[in-house]
Amino acid sequence: MQPPDRADRALTGEFWAGVDRGELLRPVCGRCGRSFFTPQVVCPLCGSGRWTYEPSAGRGTVYSFTVVHRPPEPAFEAPYTLAVVDMAEGWHLLTWIVDCPADEVRIGMEVQVRFTAGPDGALLPAFAPRAAAHGPAGAAA
Amino acid sequence: MSGPAARRHPLAGIAVAGVAATRQARSLDGNSIQICLEAARAALDDAGMTIDEVDGISARWPGPGGTVFGPGSVDWTAVFGKGFDWVGDTYPQGAPGLLDAAAAILAGQCSTVLVFGGRAGESAAGSPGAATRATVPSGDDASSAAVSSGDDAMSAAVSSGDDATSAVASYTRPENEFVACWGSLTAAQFALVAQVYLHRFAPDPERMALVPATIRNAGSANPEAVMYGRGPYEPADILASPPVAEPFRLLDLCLATEGAAAMVVTGVERARDCPSAPAVILGGGSEWYRQQYVDPPRYDDVARIGAGAYRRSFGMAGLRPGDVDVFELYDICTFEVVRQFETLGLCAEGEGVDYLAEAGIGLDGRHPTNTDGGLLAYSHVGWGGPTLKIVEAVRQIRGAAGPGQVPGAEVALVTGAGAGAQYHNAVLLGADR
Repeated sequence: MQPPDRADRALTGEFWAGVDRGELLRPVCGRCGRSFFTPQVVCPLCGSGRWTYEPSAGRGTVYSFTVVHRPPEPAFEAPYTLAVVDMAEGWHLLTWIVDCPADEVRIGMEVQVRFTAGPDGALLPAFAPRAAAHGPAGAAA
Repeated sequence: MSGPAARRHPLAGIAVAGVAATRQARSLDGNSIQICLEAARAALDDAGMTIDEVDGISARWPGPGGTVFGPGSVDWTAVFGKGFDWVGDTYPQGAPGLLDAAAAILAGQCSTVLVFGGRAGESAAGSPGAATRATVPSGDDASSAAVSSGDDAMSAAVSSGDDATSAVASYTRPENEFVACWGSLTAAQFALVAQVYLHRFAPDPERMALVPATIRNAGSANPEAVMYGRGPYEPADILASPPVAEPFRLLDLCLATEGAAAMVVTGVERARDCPSAPAVILGGGSEWYRQQYVDPPRYDDVARIGAGAYRRSFGMAGLRPGDVDVFELYDICTFEVVRQFETLGLCAEGEGVDYLAEAGIGLDGRHPTNTDGGLLAYSHVGWGGPTLKIVEAVRQIRGAAGPGQVPGAEVALVTGAGAGAQYHNAVLLGADR
């Protein structure tokens, strides 16, 4: 669940502000040029504090997934598919796979970001199979 | 320990002189302070000591009352009516709690440390609203996969083939902003690791289910276990239980129950004067890869977590994994038991399921494992859960483990945490000889 002030958070507010407008952002290091996630004060790959949020193309592949049948809170409607998605830009995140039957999700499947409302109505950067994803990359579903 | 080789290792000369576990149950009356005190006093009794002799304490304050200042263990001074020379808030207890206490003694900061933890009166067990209630602060309970609903959900799953949605269950809820928003839970974090393993190695499901079936049957035979008398379990029962977070089914996952555990740690010379034979530390180590439940765990990063801790532990002990008589492993889920045997090097990556099916992890097997029923069937009490494994290891070494006793057990391995939590720890305990 996301409180309404997420776009004001130190360190991560800019990421959530992007999500709110249907744009997927990622920290990119100004020194080593690599992407990382979750956001940290300094680049965990080279130690530089000089990094910025840059747009992501929103393309990735499923590294792993699990279909959750027992949600931690009733607001989450089970079953749903949690996944670790490896982004083409070299970062990864925990997310949902949407617009795909649970029994068709596969490790290695190509996915595209698909902004989806969470249980509190706020947008979240979920992912859908590439074949099912339509609209421009990063566009709100 | 006697013998020059044993004397040389850095943790030599420290023993567990007393252990205790309270009654463990789905829910207990009272509060966490009361149950912790009960365990602490029982461990002192077991060691033949009084609190007067204790000059170190590691038992993070569970409240109510006290302050928000760390170290929280200082709050216990008001309860015991005395001060201590050393306090520790070691996270988690179990192996790290024992190793920190040993280090404090060896560094001359104190001579006898009381380590304890547990919970009571926090579970909303049986209440229709249980699923909506946070039963424990998630940070304190990060090590348990499933919170509350233990026995009812289990029995429902086994006896009536109940579906996954009807049993009331609360689960740990990681609070990080990039985890909580997705409705993840501790079991799911471990499932994300296990899924890659299954994808790559495709172990036989029946053989894999033999692992929780065997451990649960040990719990069935242990009168102190929350799941005492349940079963017997066959692999088919595990596979027939409802899914929680695929590939895990209900019976693949640990309990989340109430109760407390405690141990008294002191020098081996002092321990030799105690009523029970000492269990000495032969070696130990910890490994921290990442903070738990922030960045998602990746199989390729955490598949072998613990290998370094094991290497250091066995290096100190001058032993090999094959020398272990009894394994008290952190069985938060089926996969973790398999993964730990692979990480110990007793079999190759991907071969753990077949290896364990052939070697056997029951009392009649080559590697008796979680002889009390483990977190799967004995109990898992959050903060104190890892210490329950020390309690069982010490009882094994004393020859006092009851129906789960491994005849002649002299070397026990205790582990804590696992791949989904991105940290792991181990301690080797042995007979004083």
